[in-house]
Amino acid sequence: MNRRPLALIASPLLAILMLGVVPLVLVLVWSFWTWDPATYWIKPDLSLAGYGAILDAGRWTVIVSTLLKAAGTAALCVVLAFPIAYAVHFLSGPRLQTLLLALITIPFFTSYLIRAFSWRLVLGRTGIVNTTLQHLGLTQTPVDWLLFSNFAVVVGLVASYLPFAIFPLVLAFRRVSPDLMAAAQDLGAGFWRAVVTVLVPLTMSGIFAGFLFVFVMVAGSSTEVQMLGGAGASIVSVMINDVMRVANYPLAFAISTVVLAVIFALVLIGNAAFGLASLFGEEER
Amino acid sequence: MTVHEGLGNRTVLWVIAVLGLLVIYAPPLYLLAISFNPALQPGLPSLSALSLDWYMALPREKALIGALQQSFLVAFVTAVFATFLSLLAALGYIELRLGRTTWFLAVLLPMFVPGVVQGLALSAVFTRIGVKASMITVISGHLLWAMPFAFIVILTSFAAVRQNVLLAAADLGAGRWRQFVDITLPLIRPGLVSAFIFSFLLSLNEFTRAFYLAGRQNTLPVVLFSKMNSGASPVIYAMSGAIFITSVLTVVALAMYNLVREKRMN
Repeated sequence: MNRRPLALIASPLLAILMLGVVPLVLVLVWSFWTWDPATYWIKPDLSLAGYGAILDAGRWTVIVSTLLKAAGTAALCVVLAFPIAYAVHFLSGPRLQTLLLALITIPFFTSYLIRAFSWRLVLGRTGIVNTTLQHLGLTQTPVDWLLFSNFAVVVGLVASYLPFAIFPLVLAFRRVSPDLMAAAQDLGAGFWRAVVTVLVPLTMSGIFAGFLFVFVMVAGSSTEVQMLGGAGASIVSVMINDVMRVANYPLAFAISTVVLAVIFALVLIGNAAFGLASLFGEEER
Repeated sequence: MTVHEGLGNRTVLWVIAVLGLLVIYAPPLYLLAISFNPALQPGLPSLSALSLDWYMALPREKALIGALQQSFLVAFVTAVFATFLSLLAALGYIELRLGRTTWFLAVLLPMFVPGVVQGLALSAVFTRIGVKASMITVISGHLLWAMPFAFIVILTSFAAVRQNVLLAAADLGAGRWRQFVDITLPLIRPGLVSAFIFSFLLSLNEFTRAFYLAGRQNTLPVVLFSKMNSGASPVIYAMSGAIFITSVLTVVALAMYNLVREKRMN
Protein backbone atom coordinates (compact mmCIF):
# COMPACT_ATOMS: atom_id res chain seq x y z
CA MET A 1 0.00 0.00 0.00
CA ASN A 2 1.23 3.43 -0.95
CA ARG A 3 2.20 5.50 2.08
CA ARG A 4 1.80 8.92 0.47
CA PRO A 5 -1.96 9.36 0.86
CA LEU A 6 -1.68 8.29 4.46
CA ALA A 7 0.97 10.91 5.13
CA LEU A 8 -1.26 13.52 3.48
CA ILE A 9 -4.38 12.69 5.44
CA ALA A 10 -2.54 12.27 8.76
CA SER A 11 -3.04 15.79 10.10
CA PRO A 12 -6.65 16.35 9.01
CA LEU A 13 -7.43 12.87 10.33
CA LEU A 14 -5.82 13.77 13.65
CA ALA A 15 -7.93 16.95 13.84
CA ILE A 16 -11.15 15.03 13.12
CA LEU A 17 -10.27 12.36 15.68
CA MET A 18 -9.13 14.69 18.47
CA LEU A 19 -11.75 17.40 18.05
CA GLY A 20 -14.63 15.33 16.72
CA VAL A 21 -14.60 11.60 17.29
CA VAL A 22 -12.87 11.36 20.67
CA PRO A 23 -15.07 13.95 22.43
CA LEU A 24 -18.20 12.29 21.06
CA VAL A 25 -17.07 8.82 22.17
CA LEU A 26 -16.28 10.27 25.61
CA VAL A 27 -19.77 11.78 25.77
CA LEU A 28 -21.20 8.35 24.97
CA VAL A 29 -19.12 6.72 27.72
CA TRP A 30 -19.70 9.49 30.23
CA SER A 31 -23.45 9.32 29.74
CA PHE A 32 -23.32 5.99 31.65
CA TRP A 33 -21.34 7.39 34.61
CA THR A 34 -22.66 8.60 37.95
CA TRP A 35 -22.97 12.19 39.08
CA ASP A 36 -20.56 12.94 41.93
CA PRO A 37 -21.64 15.92 44.07
CA ALA A 38 -18.25 16.00 45.81
CA THR A 39 -16.35 16.98 42.64
CA TYR A 40 -19.12 18.57 40.56
CA TRP A 41 -18.22 16.01 37.95
CA ILE A 42 -18.97 12.35 37.34
CA LYS A 43 -17.32 9.16 38.57
CA PRO A 44 -16.88 5.90 36.67
CA ASP A 45 -19.69 3.92 38.28
CA LEU A 46 -22.05 2.45 35.72
CA SER A 47 -25.39 4.19 35.98
CA LEU A 48 -28.41 4.71 33.82
CA ALA A 49 -29.51 7.72 35.86
CA GLY A 50 -28.92 10.07 32.93
CA TYR A 51 -31.19 8.04 30.70
CA GLY A 52 -33.69 7.61 33.53
CA ALA A 53 -33.83 11.39 33.93
CA ILE A 54 -34.81 11.71 30.26
CA LEU A 55 -38.03 9.92 31.15
CA ASP A 56 -38.66 12.33 34.05
CA ALA A 57 -40.38 15.66 33.78
CA GLY A 58 -41.47 15.05 30.20
CA ARG A 59 -37.97 15.50 28.83
CA TRP A 60 -38.53 12.68 26.36
CA THR A 61 -41.43 14.61 24.89
CA VAL A 62 -39.01 17.42 24.02
CA ILE A 63 -36.76 14.93 22.27
CA VAL A 64 -39.66 13.38 20.39
CA SER A 65 -41.11 16.75 19.42
CA THR A 66 -37.66 17.93 18.28
CA LEU A 67 -37.26 14.88 16.07
CA LEU A 68 -40.78 15.34 14.69
CA LYS A 69 -40.12 19.04 14.11
CA ALA A 70 -36.86 18.12 12.37
CA ALA A 71 -38.56 15.50 10.18
CA GLY A 72 -41.49 17.81 9.38
CA THR A 73 -39.29 20.78 8.52
CA ALA A 74 -36.99 18.57 6.47
CA ALA A 75 -39.94 17.15 4.52
CA LEU A 76 -41.35 20.63 3.94
CA CYS A 77 -37.96 21.90 2.80
CA VAL A 78 -37.54 19.01 0.35
CA VAL A 79 -41.03 19.58 -1.09
CA LEU A 80 -40.21 23.27 -1.61
CA ALA A 81 -36.66 22.57 -2.76
CA PHE A 82 -37.67 20.16 -5.51
CA PRO A 83 -39.48 22.72 -7.71
CA ILE A 84 -36.88 25.37 -6.86
CA ALA A 85 -34.02 23.09 -7.89
CA TYR A 86 -36.01 22.13 -11.00
CA ALA A 87 -36.40 25.79 -11.97
CA VAL A 88 -32.71 26.43 -11.31
CA HIS A 89 -31.43 23.42 -13.23
CA PHE A 90 -33.94 22.82 -16.04
CA LEU A 91 -35.66 26.16 -16.63
CA SER A 92 -32.79 28.66 -16.36
CA GLY A 93 -30.31 29.82 -18.96
CA PRO A 94 -26.64 29.76 -17.97
CA ARG A 95 -26.57 33.35 -16.65
CA LEU A 96 -29.76 33.09 -14.63
CA GLN A 97 -28.60 29.74 -13.30
CA THR A 98 -25.33 31.23 -12.05
CA LEU A 99 -27.24 34.05 -10.38
CA LEU A 100 -29.75 31.71 -8.73
CA LEU A 101 -27.02 29.34 -7.55
CA ALA A 102 -25.21 32.31 -6.01
CA LEU A 103 -28.41 33.38 -4.24
CA ILE A 104 -28.83 29.86 -2.87
CA THR A 105 -25.18 29.66 -1.77
CA ILE A 106 -25.06 32.98 0.07
CA PRO A 107 -27.35 31.98 3.00
CA PHE A 108 -24.90 29.24 4.06
CA PHE A 109 -22.44 31.96 4.96
CA THR A 110 -24.70 34.46 6.64
CA SER A 111 -25.71 34.45 10.29
CA TYR A 112 -28.62 32.16 11.27
CA LEU A 113 -28.98 34.27 14.38
CA ILE A 114 -29.50 37.47 12.41
CA ARG A 115 -31.85 35.78 9.95
CA ALA A 116 -33.99 34.33 12.76
CA PHE A 117 -33.97 37.69 14.55
CA SER A 118 -35.11 39.50 11.42
CA TRP A 119 -38.30 37.37 11.36
CA ARG A 120 -39.21 38.99 14.67
CA LEU A 121 -39.37 42.33 12.92
CA VAL A 122 -41.44 40.87 10.09
CA LEU A 123 -43.93 38.90 12.18
CA GLY A 124 -44.19 41.11 15.28
CA ARG A 125 -47.26 43.10 16.32
CA THR A 126 -45.93 46.16 14.53
CA GLY A 127 -44.15 44.10 11.88
CA ILE A 128 -44.70 44.42 8.17
CA VAL A 129 -47.11 41.48 7.93
CA ASN A 130 -49.43 42.84 10.60
CA THR A 131 -49.31 46.42 9.37
CA THR A 132 -50.06 45.23 5.84
CA LEU A 133 -52.98 43.07 7.01
CA GLN A 134 -54.42 46.01 8.96
CA HIS A 135 -53.81 48.35 6.08
CA LEU A 136 -55.76 46.05 3.78
CA GLY A 137 -58.52 45.93 6.35
CA LEU A 138 -58.26 42.15 6.70
CA THR A 139 -57.92 42.46 10.46
CA GLN A 140 -58.57 45.24 12.95
CA THR A 141 -56.14 44.21 15.69
CA PRO A 142 -52.67 42.75 15.08
CA VAL A 143 -52.61 38.97 14.63
CA ASP A 144 -50.86 37.54 17.67
CA TRP A 145 -50.09 33.98 16.65
CA LEU A 146 -47.68 35.13 13.94
CA LEU A 147 -44.81 35.56 16.38
CA PHE A 148 -43.69 33.59 19.46
CA SER A 149 -45.54 30.55 18.18
CA ASN A 150 -44.88 27.22 16.51
CA PHE A 151 -45.85 28.87 13.25
CA ALA A 152 -43.03 31.40 13.60
CA VAL A 153 -40.55 28.67 14.54
CA VAL A 154 -41.37 26.54 11.49
CA VAL A 155 -41.22 29.56 9.17
CA GLY A 156 -37.87 30.56 10.66
CA LEU A 157 -36.51 27.02 10.37
CA VAL A 158 -37.59 26.64 6.73
CA ALA A 159 -36.11 30.03 5.85
CA SER A 160 -32.85 29.12 7.58
CA TYR A 161 -32.28 25.65 6.22
CA LEU A 162 -34.06 25.56 2.83
CA PRO A 163 -30.76 26.00 0.92
CA PHE A 164 -29.47 22.79 2.54
CA ALA A 165 -32.24 20.93 0.70
CA ILE A 166 -31.92 22.79 -2.63
CA PHE A 167 -28.23 22.20 -3.15
CA PRO A 168 -28.10 18.39 -3.08
CA LEU A 169 -31.11 18.34 -5.42
CA VAL A 170 -29.40 20.57 -7.97
CA LEU A 171 -26.37 18.27 -7.79
CA ALA A 172 -28.63 15.25 -8.27
CA PHE A 173 -30.47 16.82 -11.26
CA ARG A 174 -27.11 17.40 -12.95
CA ARG A 175 -26.63 13.64 -13.18
CA VAL A 176 -29.99 13.07 -14.89
CA SER A 177 -30.15 13.17 -18.67
CA PRO A 178 -33.12 15.32 -19.77
CA ASP A 179 -33.64 12.76 -22.57
CA LEU A 180 -35.11 10.37 -20.02
CA MET A 181 -37.82 12.84 -19.04
CA ALA A 182 -38.47 13.66 -22.70
CA ALA A 183 -38.71 9.96 -23.53
CA ALA A 184 -41.29 9.45 -20.80
CA GLN A 185 -43.32 12.31 -22.27
CA ASP A 186 -42.96 10.87 -25.76
CA LEU A 187 -44.48 7.69 -24.44
CA GLY A 188 -47.45 9.67 -23.25
CA ALA A 189 -46.69 10.57 -19.65
CA GLY A 190 -47.80 14.01 -18.52
CA PHE A 191 -45.18 16.33 -16.99
CA TRP A 192 -45.94 15.50 -13.35
CA ARG A 193 -46.19 11.82 -14.10
CA ALA A 194 -42.75 11.95 -15.73
CA VAL A 195 -41.43 13.79 -12.66
CA VAL A 196 -42.83 11.21 -10.25
CA THR A 197 -41.92 8.09 -12.21
CA VAL A 198 -38.59 9.17 -13.74
CA LEU A 199 -37.03 12.19 -12.07
CA VAL A 200 -37.83 11.40 -8.43
CA PRO A 201 -36.52 7.82 -8.48
CA LEU A 202 -33.33 8.96 -10.24
CA THR A 203 -32.66 11.69 -7.70
CA MET A 204 -33.44 9.84 -4.46
CA SER A 205 -29.85 10.35 -3.25
CA GLY A 206 -30.30 14.12 -3.58
CA ILE A 207 -33.73 14.08 -1.98
CA PHE A 208 -32.45 12.06 0.93
CA ALA A 209 -29.27 14.13 1.36
CA GLY A 210 -31.36 17.30 1.45
CA PHE A 211 -33.75 15.79 3.98
CA LEU A 212 -30.84 14.63 6.11
CA PHE A 213 -29.00 17.97 6.09
CA VAL A 214 -32.13 19.87 7.13
CA PHE A 215 -32.98 17.22 9.73
CA VAL A 216 -29.53 17.51 11.34
CA MET A 217 -29.57 21.31 11.28
CA VAL A 218 -33.02 21.48 12.89
CA ALA A 219 -32.21 18.78 15.46
CA GLY A 220 -29.27 20.95 16.57
CA SER A 221 -30.90 24.35 16.14
CA SER A 222 -31.58 26.64 19.05
CA THR A 223 -31.73 30.22 17.80
CA GLU A 224 -34.98 29.85 15.83
CA VAL A 225 -36.84 28.51 18.88
CA GLN A 226 -35.25 31.02 21.24
CA MET A 227 -35.92 33.97 18.94
CA LEU A 228 -39.33 33.00 17.56
CA GLY A 229 -40.86 30.35 19.84
CA GLY A 230 -43.50 30.96 22.49
CA ALA A 231 -42.90 30.96 26.24
CA GLY A 232 -43.02 27.17 26.69
CA ALA A 233 -41.33 26.31 23.42
CA SER A 234 -38.41 23.98 23.69
CA ILE A 235 -36.08 22.01 21.53
CA VAL A 236 -33.22 19.66 22.36
CA SER A 237 -30.49 22.33 22.20
CA VAL A 238 -32.38 24.63 24.55
CA MET A 239 -33.03 21.72 26.91
CA ILE A 240 -29.33 20.83 26.95
CA ASN A 241 -28.48 24.47 27.70
CA ASP A 242 -30.92 24.40 30.64
CA VAL A 243 -29.60 21.09 31.93
CA MET A 244 -26.02 22.37 31.73
CA ARG A 245 -26.94 25.47 33.70
CA VAL A 246 -27.22 23.17 36.74
CA ALA A 247 -24.19 21.16 35.55
CA ASN A 248 -26.18 17.93 35.21
CA TYR A 249 -23.55 16.29 33.02
CA PRO A 250 -24.94 12.72 32.86
CA LEU A 251 -28.32 13.97 31.69
CA ALA A 252 -26.84 16.37 29.11
CA PHE A 253 -24.60 13.58 27.80
CA ALA A 254 -27.50 11.11 27.70
CA ILE A 255 -29.67 13.51 25.66
CA SER A 256 -26.74 14.18 23.31
CA THR A 257 -26.16 10.45 22.87
CA VAL A 258 -29.79 9.76 22.00
CA VAL A 259 -29.87 12.56 19.42
CA LEU A 260 -26.54 11.48 17.90
CA ALA A 261 -27.71 7.86 17.74
CA VAL A 262 -30.82 8.85 15.78
CA ILE A 263 -28.83 11.03 13.37
CA PHE A 264 -26.08 8.48 12.74
CA ALA A 265 -28.64 5.73 12.23
CA LEU A 266 -30.27 7.93 9.57
CA VAL A 267 -26.90 8.71 7.94
CA LEU A 268 -25.89 5.05 7.81
CA ILE A 269 -29.24 3.85 6.51
CA GLY A 270 -29.30 6.66 3.95
CA ASN A 271 -25.78 5.99 2.80
CA ALA A 272 -26.46 2.29 2.42
CA ALA A 273 -29.69 2.92 0.52
CA PHE A 274 -28.78 5.94 -1.61
CA GLY A 275 -24.98 6.34 -1.61
CA LEU A 276 -24.55 9.87 -0.33
CA ALA A 277 -20.95 10.11 -1.54
CA SER A 278 -22.09 9.57 -5.13
CA LEU A 279 -23.86 12.94 -5.03
CA PHE A 280 -20.60 14.79 -5.24
CA GLY A 281 -19.52 12.81 -8.28
CA GLU A 282 -16.75 11.18 -6.35
CA GLU A 283 -17.57 7.50 -6.28
CA GLU A 284 -14.90 4.83 -6.04
CA ARG A 285 -13.22 4.92 -9.38
CA MET B 1 -35.46 15.86 -27.31
CA THR B 2 -36.69 18.39 -24.85
CA VAL B 3 -38.94 18.25 -21.83
CA HIS B 4 -42.27 20.05 -22.13
CA GLU B 5 -43.38 21.41 -18.80
CA GLY B 6 -46.20 23.45 -20.25
CA LEU B 7 -46.75 27.10 -19.47
CA GLY B 8 -48.94 26.45 -16.41
CA ASN B 9 -46.42 24.12 -14.80
CA ARG B 10 -43.54 26.46 -15.58
CA THR B 11 -45.40 29.26 -13.87
CA VAL B 12 -46.05 27.11 -10.80
CA LEU B 13 -42.37 26.12 -10.61
CA TRP B 14 -41.16 29.71 -10.92
CA VAL B 15 -43.67 31.02 -8.38
CA ILE B 16 -42.41 28.49 -5.82
CA ALA B 17 -38.80 29.36 -6.64
CA VAL B 18 -39.41 33.08 -6.19
CA LEU B 19 -41.35 32.49 -2.97
CA GLY B 20 -38.50 30.35 -1.64
CA LEU B 21 -35.97 33.10 -2.32
CA LEU B 22 -38.30 35.69 -0.78
CA VAL B 23 -38.63 33.64 2.41
CA ILE B 24 -34.83 33.48 2.63
CA TYR B 25 -34.01 37.08 1.73
CA ALA B 26 -36.95 39.32 2.56
CA PRO B 27 -36.60 39.36 6.38
CA PRO B 28 -32.88 40.18 6.59
CA LEU B 29 -33.30 42.83 3.87
CA TYR B 30 -36.22 44.27 5.83
CA LEU B 31 -33.96 44.40 8.90
CA LEU B 32 -31.32 46.12 6.80
CA ALA B 33 -33.85 48.74 5.68
CA ILE B 34 -34.95 49.30 9.27
CA SER B 35 -31.35 49.91 10.32
CA PHE B 36 -31.40 53.09 8.20
CA ASN B 37 -34.48 54.40 10.01
CA PRO B 38 -33.52 57.02 12.61
CA ALA B 39 -36.71 56.40 14.60
CA LEU B 40 -36.56 54.26 17.74
CA GLN B 41 -39.57 52.17 16.71
CA PRO B 42 -38.66 49.55 14.10
CA GLY B 43 -40.33 50.31 10.79
CA LEU B 44 -39.48 51.00 7.18
CA PRO B 45 -37.83 54.41 6.86
CA SER B 46 -39.26 56.91 4.42
CA LEU B 47 -36.82 57.56 1.61
CA SER B 48 -36.31 61.17 2.71
CA ALA B 49 -35.40 60.17 6.25
CA LEU B 50 -32.68 57.60 5.59
CA SER B 51 -29.98 57.98 8.16
CA LEU B 52 -26.77 56.36 9.30
CA ASP B 53 -27.38 57.37 12.93
CA TRP B 54 -27.34 53.82 14.29
CA TYR B 55 -24.23 52.97 12.32
CA MET B 56 -22.47 56.08 13.69
CA ALA B 57 -23.39 54.87 17.17
CA LEU B 58 -21.69 51.51 16.61
CA PRO B 59 -18.13 52.52 17.57
CA ARG B 60 -19.39 53.59 21.00
CA GLU B 61 -20.66 50.08 21.74
CA LYS B 62 -17.55 48.74 23.45
CA ALA B 63 -18.98 45.24 24.04
CA LEU B 64 -19.90 44.81 20.35
CA ILE B 65 -16.58 46.13 19.09
CA GLY B 66 -14.58 43.90 21.44
CA ALA B 67 -16.62 40.92 20.35
CA LEU B 68 -16.20 41.86 16.69
CA GLN B 69 -12.42 41.98 17.05
CA GLN B 70 -12.44 38.62 18.79
CA SER B 71 -14.65 37.16 16.07
CA PHE B 72 -12.38 38.40 13.28
CA LEU B 73 -9.33 36.91 14.97
CA VAL B 74 -11.06 33.58 15.59
CA ALA B 75 -12.41 33.51 12.02
CA PHE B 76 -9.00 34.29 10.52
CA VAL B 77 -7.15 31.56 12.41
CA THR B 78 -9.99 29.10 11.78
CA ALA B 79 -9.87 29.87 8.04
CA VAL B 80 -6.09 29.40 7.84
CA PHE B 81 -6.21 25.99 9.53
CA ALA B 82 -9.40 24.83 7.82
CA THR B 83 -8.02 25.67 4.37
CA PHE B 84 -4.66 24.04 5.01
CA LEU B 85 -6.07 20.87 6.58
CA SER B 86 -8.77 20.56 3.90
CA LEU B 87 -6.14 20.92 1.17
CA LEU B 88 -4.20 18.02 2.72
CA ALA B 89 -7.45 16.07 3.08
CA ALA B 90 -8.31 16.67 -0.60
CA LEU B 91 -4.79 15.79 -1.83
CA GLY B 92 -4.97 12.59 0.19
CA TYR B 93 -8.42 11.86 -1.19
CA ILE B 94 -7.19 12.21 -4.80
CA GLU B 95 -4.35 9.75 -4.20
CA LEU B 96 -6.26 7.25 -2.10
CA ARG B 97 -7.25 4.06 -3.87
CA LEU B 98 -8.82 2.05 -1.09
CA GLY B 99 -11.10 3.69 1.43
CA ARG B 100 -11.87 6.76 -0.65
CA THR B 101 -15.54 6.90 0.25
CA THR B 102 -14.74 6.21 3.88
CA TRP B 103 -12.33 9.13 3.98
CA PHE B 104 -14.83 11.37 2.20
CA LEU B 105 -17.52 10.57 4.76
CA ALA B 106 -15.04 10.93 7.64
CA VAL B 107 -14.23 14.52 6.61
CA LEU B 108 -17.94 15.27 6.19
CA LEU B 109 -18.82 13.64 9.52
CA PRO B 110 -18.68 16.83 11.65
CA MET B 111 -21.39 18.30 9.39
CA PHE B 112 -23.80 15.74 10.80
CA VAL B 113 -23.07 16.50 14.45
CA PRO B 114 -25.42 19.12 15.93
CA GLY B 115 -23.54 22.21 17.09
CA VAL B 116 -24.81 21.98 20.63
CA VAL B 117 -23.59 18.37 21.01
CA GLN B 118 -20.20 19.19 19.51
CA GLY B 119 -19.83 22.31 21.64
CA LEU B 120 -20.84 20.53 24.81
CA ALA B 121 -18.57 17.54 24.11
CA LEU B 122 -15.54 19.70 23.34
CA SER B 123 -16.06 21.99 26.30
CA ALA B 124 -16.41 19.01 28.67
CA VAL B 125 -13.18 17.48 27.33
CA PHE B 126 -11.31 20.80 27.51
CA THR B 127 -12.47 21.34 31.09
CA ARG B 128 -11.35 17.81 32.02
CA ILE B 129 -7.84 18.21 30.64
CA GLY B 130 -7.53 21.65 32.20
CA VAL B 131 -7.68 23.83 29.08
CA LYS B 132 -9.40 27.09 29.95
CA ALA B 133 -12.12 28.34 27.61
CA SER B 134 -10.36 30.82 25.34
CA MET B 135 -9.87 31.79 21.74
CA ILE B 136 -8.17 28.46 21.11
CA THR B 137 -11.17 26.44 22.30
CA VAL B 138 -13.54 28.39 20.04
CA ILE B 139 -11.19 27.91 17.10
CA SER B 140 -11.10 24.14 17.73
CA GLY B 141 -14.88 24.02 17.59
CA HIS B 142 -15.11 26.21 14.49
CA LEU B 143 -12.35 24.30 12.68
CA LEU B 144 -14.48 21.17 12.66
CA TRP B 145 -17.55 23.11 11.49
CA ALA B 146 -15.69 24.78 8.60
CA MET B 147 -13.61 21.83 7.36
CA PRO B 148 -16.34 19.87 5.53
CA PHE B 149 -17.35 22.97 3.52
CA ALA B 150 -13.73 23.87 2.75
CA PHE B 151 -13.01 20.26 1.78
CA ILE B 152 -15.89 20.07 -0.72
CA VAL B 153 -14.94 23.41 -2.29
CA ILE B 154 -11.29 22.43 -2.68
CA LEU B 155 -12.17 18.97 -3.94
CA THR B 156 -14.43 20.51 -6.60
CA SER B 157 -11.59 22.76 -7.75
CA PHE B 158 -9.42 19.68 -8.34
CA ALA B 159 -11.56 18.97 -11.42
CA ALA B 160 -9.33 21.52 -13.19
CA VAL B 161 -6.23 19.40 -12.54
CA ARG B 162 -5.98 16.92 -15.37
CA GLN B 163 -4.01 13.77 -14.67
CA ASN B 164 -2.22 13.76 -18.05
CA VAL B 165 -0.75 17.22 -17.41
CA LEU B 166 0.78 15.93 -14.20
CA LEU B 167 2.04 12.83 -16.06
CA ALA B 168 3.60 15.05 -18.73
CA ALA B 169 5.34 17.07 -16.04
CA ALA B 170 6.58 13.85 -14.45
CA ASP B 171 7.92 12.71 -17.85
CA LEU B 172 9.82 15.96 -18.12
CA GLY B 173 11.46 15.22 -14.80
CA ALA B 174 9.35 17.20 -12.32
CA GLY B 175 9.18 15.65 -8.88
CA ARG B 176 5.95 15.43 -6.87
CA TRP B 177 6.58 18.71 -5.05
CA ARG B 178 7.48 20.54 -8.26
CA GLN B 179 4.29 19.21 -9.91
CA PHE B 180 2.26 20.42 -6.97
CA VAL B 181 3.75 23.91 -6.84
CA ASP B 182 3.89 24.54 -10.62
CA ILE B 183 0.72 22.82 -11.81
CA THR B 184 -1.74 21.80 -9.11
CA LEU B 185 -1.46 24.87 -6.89
CA PRO B 186 -2.13 27.53 -9.58
CA LEU B 187 -5.06 25.49 -10.91
CA ILE B 188 -6.78 25.06 -7.56
CA ARG B 189 -6.03 28.55 -6.27
CA PRO B 190 -9.65 29.77 -6.74
CA GLY B 191 -10.78 26.79 -4.67
CA LEU B 192 -8.33 27.65 -1.92
CA VAL B 193 -9.43 31.30 -1.90
CA SER B 194 -13.10 30.26 -1.76
CA ALA B 195 -12.43 27.72 0.99
CA PHE B 196 -10.60 30.36 3.04
CA ILE B 197 -13.37 32.94 2.69
CA PHE B 198 -16.17 30.43 3.30
CA SER B 199 -14.42 29.14 6.44
CA PHE B 200 -13.93 32.70 7.62
CA LEU B 201 -17.62 33.53 7.21
CA LEU B 202 -18.80 30.25 8.74
CA SER B 203 -16.71 30.93 11.84
CA LEU B 204 -17.67 34.60 11.99
CA ASN B 205 -21.39 33.76 12.06
CA GLU B 206 -21.28 30.59 14.19
CA PHE B 207 -23.20 30.85 17.45
CA THR B 208 -23.96 27.51 19.15
CA ARG B 209 -20.43 26.15 19.45
CA ALA B 210 -19.01 29.52 20.45
CA PHE B 211 -21.69 29.73 23.15
CA TYR B 212 -20.11 26.71 24.86
CA LEU B 213 -16.47 27.29 23.99
CA ALA B 214 -15.90 31.06 24.27
CA GLY B 215 -13.84 32.29 27.18
CA ARG B 216 -14.07 35.68 28.87
CA GLN B 217 -14.22 37.52 25.58
CA ASN B 218 -17.32 36.32 23.74
CA THR B 219 -17.53 36.26 19.97
CA LEU B 220 -19.89 38.61 18.15
CA PRO B 221 -22.87 36.25 17.68
CA VAL B 222 -22.85 35.38 21.39
CA VAL B 223 -22.91 39.06 22.38
CA LEU B 224 -25.50 39.87 19.70
CA PHE B 225 -27.71 37.04 20.97
CA SER B 226 -27.83 38.37 24.52
CA LYS B 227 -28.44 41.91 23.28
CA MET B 228 -31.25 40.78 20.98
CA ASN B 229 -33.00 39.19 23.94
CA SER B 230 -32.61 42.11 26.32
CA GLY B 231 -34.78 44.72 24.65
CA ALA B 232 -33.22 45.38 21.27
CA SER B 233 -31.76 48.82 20.80
CA PRO B 234 -31.67 49.90 17.15
CA VAL B 235 -27.88 49.68 17.28
CA ILE B 236 -28.44 45.90 17.09
CA TYR B 237 -30.15 46.42 13.73
CA ALA B 238 -27.15 48.35 12.47
CA MET B 239 -24.66 45.71 13.65
CA SER B 240 -26.80 42.85 12.27
CA GLY B 241 -27.34 44.71 9.01
CA ALA B 242 -23.64 45.45 8.66
CA ILE B 243 -22.63 41.82 9.31
CA PHE B 244 -25.30 40.47 6.97
CA ILE B 245 -24.51 42.77 4.08
CA THR B 246 -20.75 42.25 4.52
CA SER B 247 -21.21 38.47 4.37
CA VAL B 248 -23.38 38.77 1.26
CA LEU B 249 -21.02 41.16 -0.55
CA THR B 250 -18.01 38.97 0.26
CA VAL B 251 -19.62 35.91 -1.34
CA VAL B 252 -20.74 38.00 -4.34
CA ALA B 253 -17.24 39.43 -4.80
CA LEU B 254 -15.83 35.92 -4.63
CA ALA B 255 -18.29 34.67 -7.25
CA MET B 256 -17.39 37.60 -9.56
CA TYR B 257 -13.68 36.92 -9.11
CA ASN B 258 -14.15 33.27 -10.04
CA LEU B 259 -16.33 34.16 -13.05
CA VAL B 260 -13.84 36.69 -14.40
CA ARG B 261 -11.01 34.24 -13.90
CA GLU B 262 -12.90 31.51 -15.76
CA LYS B 263 -13.68 33.88 -18.65
CA ARG B 264 -10.03 34.81 -18.98
CA MET B 265 -8.95 31.17 -19.10
CA ASN B 266 -11.40 30.27 -21.86
